[in-house]
Amino acid sequence: MKEFLQELFSSDFMPHGYCYSWKPGLVWLHLVSDVLIAVAYFSIPLTLVYFIRKRKDLPFNWMFLCFGTFILACGSTHLMEVWTLWHGTYWLSGAIKALTALASVPTAILLLYLVPHAVALPSPQAMRLEIAERKSAERALNLVKEQLEFMVQERTAELSKTNKELIAEIAQRKRSEEALQAAQAQMARMARVSTMGELTSSIAHEINQPLAAVVTNGDASLRWLGNDPPNLAKTRESITGMIKEANRASEVIKRIRALAKKTPPQKAHLKVNEVIDEAIGLVGGQLARQGVVLRKELVPNLPPVIGDRVQVQQVILNLIANGIEAMEEVTGRPRELSIGAKSTDDGRVLISVSDCGTGIEPESADHLFEAFFTTKQEGMGLGLSISRTIVEGHQGRLWATPNTQGGATFQFTLPVASAAGASA
Amino acid sequence: MSTAEPTVFVIDDDKAIRSAIKNLLESMGLRVEVFPSPREFLKGAHKDRPGCLVLDVRLPGESGLDFQRELANGNVELPVIFITGHGDIPMGVQAMKAGAVDFLTKPFRDQDLLDAIQKAIGRDQARRQQKTEGAGIRNRFNSLTPREREVMSLVVAGLLNKQVAAKLGMSETTAKIHRGQVMRKMEAQSLPDLVRMSERLGTPS
Repeated sequence: MKEFLQELFSSDFMPHGYCYSWKPGLVWLHLVSDVLIAVAYFSIPLTLVYFIRKRKDLPFNWMFLCFGTFILACGSTHLMEVWTLWHGTYWLSGAIKALTALASVPTAILLLYLVPHAVALPSPQAMRLEIAERKSAERALNLVKEQLEFMVQERTAELSKTNKELIAEIAQRKRSEEALQAAQAQMARMARVSTMGELTSSIAHEINQPLAAVVTNGDASLRWLGNDPPNLAKTRESITGMIKEANRASEVIKRIRALAKKTPPQKAHLKVNEVIDEAIGLVGGQLARQGVVLRKELVPNLPPVIGDRVQVQQVILNLIANGIEAMEEVTGRPRELSIGAKSTDDGRVLISVSDCGTGIEPESADHLFEAFFTTKQEGMGLGLSISRTIVEGHQGRLWATPNTQGGATFQFTLPVASAAGASA
Repeated sequence: MSTAEPTVFVIDDDKAIRSAIKNLLESMGLRVEVFPSPREFLKGAHKDRPGCLVLDVRLPGESGLDFQRELANGNVELPVIFITGHGDIPMGVQAMKAGAVDFLTKPFRDQDLLDAIQKAIGRDQARRQQKTEGAGIRNRFNSLTPREREVMSLVVAGLLNKQVAAKLGMSETTAKIHRGQVMRKMEAQSLPDLVRMSERLGTPS
């Protein structure tokens, strides 16, 4: 290796200057020309590197690098020419030439390969033309886009306007619906209060009874205490009775207050028999005063129904009040009112109130449930109409049928609460 | 159980009222029996026992109406005190006309009820006494011969022995003997006494 390098760098040969016979003019000519060529060759790659660094987008830029290498190698051969003027290291100059050949031949071959591709590159003019075309296409596209945008905006505006109108309409409809519901609730409440008005004496009786029991038990407890010795067991028993009856009075008042209250209807799971018993609790006095015998036919353990307690009670109260009234003229035979509750095959609970009164006149039958239709002297004709509204609001049905032995039966259905939520 | 002791029979369909009145009357030392309806009361042989009835005017149902009719017909002779939930005037008048001892509005003063009950029981006792007396008079009257009855009817009408004899076609002595028999059998102390008994019997004069 060392030998090789020594050989390479040895200058056993004659310097090149001898060939020029050391004629100063010729030596200078070669020297200056070679130096200038070398300087030029060395500067070209720098410029090329600068150029391709600035224009990284240019196609085939690796070709410039090949050129650069090739020119750089050529520059080196010219520098070696200067050197060999005085030093005979022709091995080295030959080696550098060989390297230059190595760099130049592939470059030449690559260039050959590159030419068709380079030829295919569009000319700047074609590029300009295309760019112009593209620009005009782009402008056209932009125009269409703008038009489209305008149209979209127009459509959107139209849509949002329609939407706004729709929302307003929905709101309006909702308001009307709410107003209707409120009016219905108000009507129902008025009817309730009116029914309660008719039942005032009955209700008063229902409160007075427990109060009388309280007073009587109170008197009794005073007397038991006044005995010698005081009978404390009996006193306690009397006071227990007082508390129980005071609570009973309070319960009645609570029920009345619920009926008169101005609360929006609340659907809940109801036990029909319980609701019926509560209603009967309010009219017991009325029944007794009119000498009406009440017959209850309530099937036990009915499935709970969905409904508003107060409104359902209102319907029952209304039907009972009607029944009692229908029997006012009955004399010489028992006045009997039957209240029944049972399940139907189609998953409903049927509640019926049957009287043995004057019955339904055939000409009234069709108008029974119309508002302001009445056969009574003092009736408003709202009870049955509102009752039907209430029942239908509960997805139920209310209808009347004449009894074979006189009187009428009013009955209505209520849907049974679904098994899923039948927790009541 | 001594049937001689007067009993207050309370008939009210309201259980609470029933037991409260029972409690009050017991605290007053009275004997009480309660019934939910007249029918229940009539089931037992109570109506001939001494005492009185405390009755709610608004008795439930058919039996209530019947019972009131029965009261009016005199089948139940027990004095009645009516109680009512309301100061219902027409009902009160009707009740008093039907022979009620008193008409009390619930809630009533205990003393009022006590007074009314005492009055009613007093009336019942007098009635019973009279009834017993009346039964005695009837028995004694039944022991008279037809002739003696004829004599009695004329005597109480104020006829003298002579007039009786003439009317019945007998001697005055015979008439006198018959009259003596009548007075003895009827246990009459005097003629006015006999007249009173005759009135009780309703003998046509």
